[in-house]
Parts: sequence; structure tokens; C-alpha cells
Amino acid sequence: MSDMDAGRPPGAPAPWETAPPDVDLSRVWTSVAAEVWRRRPGPLERAAGRLLRSPGLARALVTTPSLLLAWIIATVVVLFAGAGATLATGTPYVALLAPAVAAAGIAYAYGPGIDPAWELSQSMAVSDRIVLLVRALAVFGLNAALGLAASAASGAAAALTFGWLVPMTAACALALAAATLARSAIVGVAAGVAAWVIAVLSGAAAGGQFTTAVTNTALVLPYLAFAACCSAVVLYATRIPRGTS
Amino acid sequence: MNIDITDLTRRFGRTQAVAGVDLRTGAGVFGLLGPNGAGKTSLLRMMATVLPPTSGRLRLLGRDPGSYGPRREIRRRLGYLPQNLGYYPGFTVAEFVEYFALLKDMPPGQVPRAVAAAVGQVGLGDKARAKLRTLSGGMLRRAGIAQAIVNGPELLLLDEPTAGLDPEQRVAFRALLRDLGQRATVIVSTHLVEDVGAACTEVALMDAGKLVFQGTPDELIARGEGTGAAGDAPLERGYSAVLAAARSTTAAA
Repeated sequence: MSDMDAGRPPGAPAPWETAPPDVDLSRVWTSVAAEVWRRRPGPLERAAGRLLRSPGLARALVTTPSLLLAWIIATVVVLFAGAGATLATGTPYVALLAPAVAAAGIAYAYGPGIDPAWELSQSMAVSDRIVLLVRALAVFGLNAALGLAASAASGAAAALTFGWLVPMTAACALALAAATLARSAIVGVAAGVAAWVIAVLSGAAAGGQFTTAVTNTALVLPYLAFAACCSAVVLYATRIPRGTS
Repeated sequence: MNIDITDLTRRFGRTQAVAGVDLRTGAGVFGLLGPNGAGKTSLLRMMATVLPPTSGRLRLLGRDPGSYGPRREIRRRLGYLPQNLGYYPGFTVAEFVEYFALLKDMPPGQVPRAVAAAVGQVGLGDKARAKLRTLSGGMLRRAGIAQAIVNGPELLLLDEPTAGLDPEQRVAFRALLRDLGQRATVIVSTHLVEDVGAACTEVALMDAGKLVFQGTPDELIARGEGTGAAGDAPLERGYSAVLAAARSTTAAA
């Protein structure tokens, strides 16, 4: 027996069972439950909702676990390992590391096997491509912000930051394209990281320094063109074909 | 017609999952029966706009899901329960339903009441604040049904909705289906013939990717009468008789 039943004779109706006939108890219950059960968005989710103009997208960005994992990995690796090494040695490890980390984050941002409710999410009005884009931008933006801060701390902020943002875009676009085509985040990570390692080693072989891949301004356009091609592949691979009616 | 399908096909490599299906239906509860591998789930996934057809004509709620704008409108009015419902273990039941209500583009102001109503309709009111990882299989299924109906869908697609439900819950669920079918098109894919008999106004039977029967449950029962087909109930005998006839026709061809 609950506290609310205490003192009531057996068989006697509870107070809520003797409500006036013009009171719709079902509606009252629904209103109370709605107020009690609703999830109050935190400051980050509210800000994202205003920025994206979609509470659904904000919820998808902030609360779903796949992004959180990528976010944590990117934060820990870039901030602590990369920035620490950069400060200690003067070599821009952040610039060299960030593209590979961001590529891993992008590949793990969305997809079957990554998002438990992926099948359901595909049938939603807020398109899965938009969710993917927002998650990708979030991972990219976080890495960019952290890298910018670390680069600033090491003294060669602007040139260095813009030097690695562009290759990071290319590595991320490749990881996303590979993950989308293969429907496997692992393949995406492997492609993104492998391509970046090859780029760094090729730069070292050609220029004598490991940092060539991020400091050679002649590579900016090829990086951007490569990123554009990979983005086109993603768009093509995730389209729903016309001609079904 | 909320669903208008003509000669719809879907191939996976060399496998023909759906082979030239024609289907038209309006409001009511429509049962989709068939053995495992008949193509029910593929057909349902195409109607849920998750899987694009290989060929054929598909119109849902009077719109073409092949174009972005109409597809988004369809999805706003759609409820879908996949066969394998994935979920976020750390979400509560209410959070789970609310999340998908938001992804369905419901006006945020209407979401809390809609969530409370949907959770109440599936009888999970006392578990609304329980984490999904703590729920039984039947309760998870009901949480999945709640997210499917939260937006008051005009088209509701349920893939094996009664899997994991106990007999009492199944009776309650059939009553909910009949209620929803008053104003929406409800497609229920199942291999449980008794669900169809109790809740559906119309039924179709699929085998090897094709619709081999479409009619009322009474018409399906009539197909089994006097045939000596296997089954413990009249509907089961009708089901067996139609399947046997379809397979013998295929074998003869």
C-alpha cells in the first residue's frame, strides 16, 4: 500500500477516482507526465539548437554516443599528446597528427554498426545526411579549435594552422568517402590515416622534412581538389536514386 | 490511396528480394504475411524510404519518395518500427521517444505531450524514466512502438511488432492497432497469423518476393476450406493453402 492509500478504508475510492465528471483525467495525466518526463536540454544543446535551427539536429549532435566517442578520442589525443610534443620539441606535431585523428573521428561519426539506431534514423525527416554533415563539422571544428589553440601556444599560429587545416580537410574527406563506400568505419580510418602517412612520408622524401606536407603552400590546391572529389563521392554514394515513380 | 505501388522490385546482387509487387491501400490495418525470406522486410523498408527500389513505381501518401522535398514530407507523417530496433542504452524510454519525435520534425512545443501520450498508449508509463538497457525485450519493443506512433503517423509500418510481447501485451497491442487503423494506414509485417486475424482489415501474403494473395482475412480463411491444408486454425489453413498453390504454380512454370 502506498502513502497515498494510508487511512483510506478498504474498497473506498481513491481521491483521483472521484474527480468531477467534467475533468478528463487522461488529459491531466498526460500533461503531468509530459512535464515530469521531458528532458531539459543543457546549455550546449540549446546553443546548438539555436545555431542549427533544429532541436532534432542539436539532440543528434550532442547526445548520441557515436559522436561522443569520436569527440573524446580527438580531444585527448590532439590536446595532450600533440600539443605537449609541439611545445617540448618545437616540431609541429599537432599539424602532423591532427589530420589523422580528425579522419578517425569523421569515419566514426555515423553509420551502420556505429549508430545503434541507424536503420531508424534513416527514416527520419531530419535527413541522415544532414546529421552526418553536422557531426562531421563538429568533429572537424573541435579539432580545428584545439589545433589552433595549440599552434598559437607554440608561436607560429596563423600560417601553421592554415597549413594543416587544408590537409586535414582532405584526409577527413577521404576517410568519410571510404567509410561511406565500404560501409565500415574501420575502412574509413584505415584509408584516412594511411593516406596521411603516405603524404607526410612523401613530403619528407621530397623536401627533406616531415613538415613539408603541412608547410608547402603548393599543396593547398591539390588538397582542396582532392577533398572536393571525395565529398562528391560521398554525396553520390548517399543519394536516393530518382526514377522510382 | 496512402500506398500506391506498381511493379516494385528490389535486388541485392543476384538475389531478387522483391519481384514486381503491386499494392494499393488506404486507411486500415494491413497485414503482411509470409515465410522467412519472402521479402516482407525489404518491401517494408522501401515503404519506410530507407531502401530505394531497384525499379517500379512507389508513391506514399500521394508523394514520390524519390525526391528530397516529398520524401521529407512523407517522413514527417511516417512511423516505422524496424525488425531490429537499435537503441541508445543510456537513454530513458521518454528520452528515446522524444529524440525520434524531434528527428521527425515535430514542433518542439508539442513533443512532451506527444511523448507522454505515446508512452502511455504502449503501457510503459511506469518505465518512462527507466534506462533502455534495463528493459526486457518486450518492453524495448513497446518503446519502439511508442517512437513509431509519437507523431500520430498517417502511415505506420511495423515489422514484427509483437515479437517478444507476452499474450496480455499482444491483446492490448492489437486493440491499439485497431484504434490507429481508424485514421491511418497501418502495415504490419508478421509471421504470426493470429495477429492478422485479430487486428487486420486486409491481408497480403508474400512468397519468394511476390504477392501471392491479397484480400480480407475471411477470404484467406475461405482459401483453406476443404483443401486439407496444414494448420491448427482456419487462417493458418488458408495461409498454407495459398502458399502451397503459389509454389506448385511456380514449380509447374
